[in-house]
Amino acid sequence: MSSPALNRSRILALALVMLVPPIAIVAAIPWLRQQPEGLGVLLTGIAATLTVVSSIALAVLKDRQIDEWQRSNARFSSQWGWMVGAGMVALLLAVPAVRDLIVSSASVWGGVPNPDARLVVTTFTFGFMAVVVTQAICTMLLSLGWHVLMSRGSREPS
Amino acid sequence: MKNKIRILRADRRWSQAELATRVGVSRNSINSIENGHFDPSLPLAFAIADAFACMIEEVFERDPPRSGAS
Repeated sequence: MSSPALNRSRILALALVMLVPPIAIVAAIPWLRQQPEGLGVLLTGIAATLTVVSSIALAVLKDRQIDEWQRSNARFSSQWGWMVGAGMVALLLAVPAVRDLIVSSASVWGGVPNPDARLVVTTFTFGFMAVVVTQAICTMLLSLGWHVLMSRGSREPS
Repeated sequence: MKNKIRILRADRRWSQAELATRVGVSRNSINSIENGHFDPSLPLAFAIADAFACMIEEVFERDPPRSGAS
């Protein structure tokens, strides 16, 4: 098999591994509701792990095929996309219709007829904040690691 | 950073796509570099100069030093 064909097959396989688990979990929600809670958490965790790992592998594979201009584009859009997206979530949480949507989604997907709206929105907000704070901490740690890695070796005496 | 890629291409009757193929990057990269929107890395700048069989200084012109820079 030629290299481009092999790459296409890998990308297709990884895309399937990325997309199928979350779709399967959503499709299996009625069945999952009837299972013990631990099994639901385990299967959801496995699906999330598969999706995250395959999306990272897909990004690495794609990164090898692009040139520096395209890499600059990816860096710019991912950096600003993340910031704009995080800001948008914070702004959207102030919109009553969005809060209602979150509560009704939690009700439908969680199988709870009348959830406490304030509890649902607060939990969602804390979940979002946990992601933002964890990403900020990981960014700082990776920046420190990169600094240490790239600064190794001999230095001129000062 | 200013450059003479458009002139050097025209001399050789190369399209942007042809230069991109010779250098091993996308046509968008060449277009963006040629129009001064994107500064190439040193390896890519050398690769472009090599494609034209020129010295790097014959293809790229350094920007005037910014005020305050030593």
